[in-house]
Amino acid sequence: MKVTARIFRFDPACDEVARFDTFSIDLVEGARVLHFLHAAHERDPTLSYRYCCGTGQCGSCAVRVNGIPTLACMEEARDDITIEPLNLPIKKDLTIDMEPVLAKLAGIVPQEVIKIPSRDEIEIIKPLRECIECFACVSVCPAMEVADFAGPTVMRQDMRLTLDPRDGKNRITEAIEEGLFTCTTCQYCWKVCPKNIEIPAKAIEKLRALANRQGLTLPRHREVEQLVKETGRSITKNKPTFLEQIPEIVEPYGEVRKTVGFFTGCMYDFRLPETALDAIDVLKRNGIRVIIPHEQVCCGSPLIRTGQLGFLDTVKQRNISAFTCRGIDTVMTMCAGCGSTLKNDYATPFKVVDITEVLTELGIESPARLSIRASYHDPCHALRGQGISDQPRALLRQVVDIIEMPQKCCGAGGGTRSGRPDVANALGVKRAEEIKKVGVDIVVSCCPFCEFHIGALADRPIKNITSVLLDGYKKKDQEMG
Amino acid sequence: MRIEDVVDCHVLVIGSGGAGIRAAIEAEKYGDTVLISKSIAGKGGCTPMAEGGYNAVLHAADSCTLHEEDTIRGGSYLNDPELVKILVQEAPKRFQDLLDWGSVFDVTEDNEPAQRSFGGQRFPRTCYAGDRSGHEIMMTLLEHLRCSDVGLFQEFTVIELLKDGEAVVGAVALDPCGKLCIFEADSTILATGGGARMYDISTNSATGTGDGFALGYQAGAELIDMEMVQFHPTGAVYPYDARGRLVTEAVRSEGGILLNNNDERFMIRYDPERMELSTRDIVARAIATEIDEGRGTKRKGVYLDVTHLPAKTIEERLPTMLEQFLKFGVDIRREPMEVAPTAHHIMGGLRITPHCQTTLQGLYACGEVTGGIHGANRLGGNALADTQVFGKRAGEAAGKSANRSICIDSNQVNIIDKRLDEFQRGKILPSVIMKKLQCAMWDGAGIFRTAVTLKQVKVTIDDLVSAPLYAASPTNFAECFSTHNMCIAASLVVRSALMRPESRGAHVRRDVVQTWETNNSPYGHTYISTKHEGIERRTVIK
Repeated sequence: MKVTARIFRFDPACDEVARFDTFSIDLVEGARVLHFLHAAHERDPTLSYRYCCGTGQCGSCAVRVNGIPTLACMEEARDDITIEPLNLPIKKDLTIDMEPVLAKLAGIVPQEVIKIPSRDEIEIIKPLRECIECFACVSVCPAMEVADFAGPTVMRQDMRLTLDPRDGKNRITEAIEEGLFTCTTCQYCWKVCPKNIEIPAKAIEKLRALANRQGLTLPRHREVEQLVKETGRSITKNKPTFLEQIPEIVEPYGEVRKTVGFFTGCMYDFRLPETALDAIDVLKRNGIRVIIPHEQVCCGSPLIRTGQLGFLDTVKQRNISAFTCRGIDTVMTMCAGCGSTLKNDYATPFKVVDITEVLTELGIESPARLSIRASYHDPCHALRGQGISDQPRALLRQVVDIIEMPQKCCGAGGGTRSGRPDVANALGVKRAEEIKKVGVDIVVSCCPFCEFHIGALADRPIKNITSVLLDGYKKKDQEMG
Repeated sequence: MRIEDVVDCHVLVIGSGGAGIRAAIEAEKYGDTVLISKSIAGKGGCTPMAEGGYNAVLHAADSCTLHEEDTIRGGSYLNDPELVKILVQEAPKRFQDLLDWGSVFDVTEDNEPAQRSFGGQRFPRTCYAGDRSGHEIMMTLLEHLRCSDVGLFQEFTVIELLKDGEAVVGAVALDPCGKLCIFEADSTILATGGGARMYDISTNSATGTGDGFALGYQAGAELIDMEMVQFHPTGAVYPYDARGRLVTEAVRSEGGILLNNNDERFMIRYDPERMELSTRDIVARAIATEIDEGRGTKRKGVYLDVTHLPAKTIEERLPTMLEQFLKFGVDIRREPMEVAPTAHHIMGGLRITPHCQTTLQGLYACGEVTGGIHGANRLGGNALADTQVFGKRAGEAAGKSANRSICIDSNQVNIIDKRLDEFQRGKILPSVIMKKLQCAMWDGAGIFRTAVTLKQVKVTIDDLVSAPLYAASPTNFAECFSTHNMCIAASLVVRSALMRPESRGAHVRRDVVQTWETNNSPYGHTYISTKHEGIERRTVIK
């Protein structure tokens, strides 16, 4: 089996710029990337890479294969791949400097009187204990790029110690100093973790909840919770809302192909009602009957992400009963954040689907093609929170040409925009730079937080996918007179 | 000379596995302690890969006497009884240390440490954290180490022990760039682990190159029972490049059964009483025999099957196995694994006193680099216990040792410096030598041996040991030394194997007809040093 791969080469001691060396090597079937590197090392013994156990247990050999962090010893060596170091300071070639991150991991400070954890406590600690310190998570964390954030696995370790009755130190204040509130909960750390440790939900949000109990929630986050308690929405009203402009039942133009409940979320209701109205037009054209309970409230995501769980059950109950009392079995979201929350943080008696899932599954009336070049921005809570990336692209391709750009968190999520606007802004600016580089006419997305946040910083318009589809339909109508 | 740095300390620990870090934590109580690790600390060695568990007598129904008897019987009566007594008596205390320091082992419904049965045990005394018990211990030790003042030198490779007359007074190491560094110490602890990578098929990590055996031997220390190499019965056979990867004994402990290609549970013919949970030497030979006699799979393995177990048991108790095999396309909840023996552990090593003192002044040793504790075959679950019990003992003894004034022999350093020059002018890549050695060892000094095959291997090694190794750059010096060390350690295995004219435990001489059972063998330890070598005779008690 012949495998050709490009390997990143860089020696900071003597090279000004990095280069790629291409190796073509005959490998035995089933060989891993690590075995490719062994063979490449035999051809060029100056190639530097790190490995140890070869069985996915020590975390020495994490590299990027085609841009994605992975353990070289576990990843199958496929033809035509690019092998690069993790995005961390490089010692040489594929070997990164692990010691600065290792130095940040907390050790244990045992209590005077030792109390061994119970079986239940052990069951909660165990998943956080599986970390092999490969630092794949650290290498992809967007917050670490712009803020003084110690990183995902450092938070994991803080939470692991917090859960352990043997540790005698308050890890919450430590975690806050280490940047607990800068995490955007983009979930990238979890998705690249070879041990599948759910750091955002099992460490970051839990630490924030404990911070809340100690009265350490950020003031701006407390205001958000207050708003939800008082108004049912996480943001203030400053113009006529979507719900004020729409009846509870919207019938489609033609025959009814499907009926869905519509969970609007705070942003489309209060800030971007025009976008939600565009979506309604698209749904009407495609035979979808939409039921919109007007008593629905915030999904609770701003509370969960910031660790404020006191009022959460109330909002969950209100939302669930708003749909169940109308006998709705499918609830559609169009906000990536609400969708991810309803799918992952709720136990709903109904099915939850994103609008892009509804439209692709049902199939849509073809729009006219628009003569613009567009790029699609993957919202973290759609891509990683719900596994949605093909559906919006499939819809978008029917109306414009897509130019791909690298996926990157815009910084708006996880309560960062309200709690740490400096961090959110810095990430948004980086995203805007990326958009400028790709040089398209518009950017399309399916998350109101991303749309609102990037919209304020990018030099290109950012539009919701349904608005673009509607533009296509309008053009089609014009062309047909 | 290219000496970059001189570091001075009271205790120098070489190796960052379970034994090394435990030793450093203990030694630091007595004075400045430095730990040198060839890998990132805690990532090298076998401890983080150890899956099965830690043997400790914790129940009233169990006893230290029973653990002692199991260990000695499992070790074919070659174990040093005093060291075994220490192991079984102190294993529970050291386990409690780990619990006090934050270990997250599995517990029963009554919040007691959960224990399972491993091979050769008459009581289920193996404590575990799923099938990542070693990782759990390593994480605990690292959390403790981070709060200590132990000086850490990571990715430094020790290449020679420093001598002042007959005493060991520290070590010479290469830094990550290949520059020489001197570490002076009142006491030095070797905790470098094993060397099973000298075999073509092995469970060991990249660091299992037998450096400690070679370092100790070259400095003049005596080693015992180096012929005793444990072949773990169950190593993975696919993918080919990852062959030998450990399939933990916990799989059989949880109820896994072994089948040949006729679907026959063949252990009934080898050990009908203990079946799959017989000792490792017996199960490994059974599997090797099945394969040799044509009852193996196409990929030269046998089946290890857990499909009869509830999926939940597999997911909870064997998560690492499930995850690893899934990566390689096998769902062990639905299909059997394919396994074959793999070189795993070297029971022999530096001769130590109960205080981990080697035969050299100033040099202590603990963990797999030592000999005598496990005799001719190690029981599963005894190695992790060994690292903690003797790690602590070595750290304490070295810590309590007297300060000494040290005089470095500049000639010793000059000779090393010349060797570095030779490597740069060398001709053969270390990887080439390593592969030749591994194949020769597997073929001639593996599970089954004869004087003829052993002598052939010896000729090969003598040739390889003097090969002109080539270092393409100073960062490649460490590979050259590791390869050379592997050759030295392999020669110790082969020479010792030739000295033992009997089959005992893991050492099987097909060319020897013997009339005695292992419990009344006329032989004791083999011993080997730069000065002498031989085999101890002992009086047989009938």
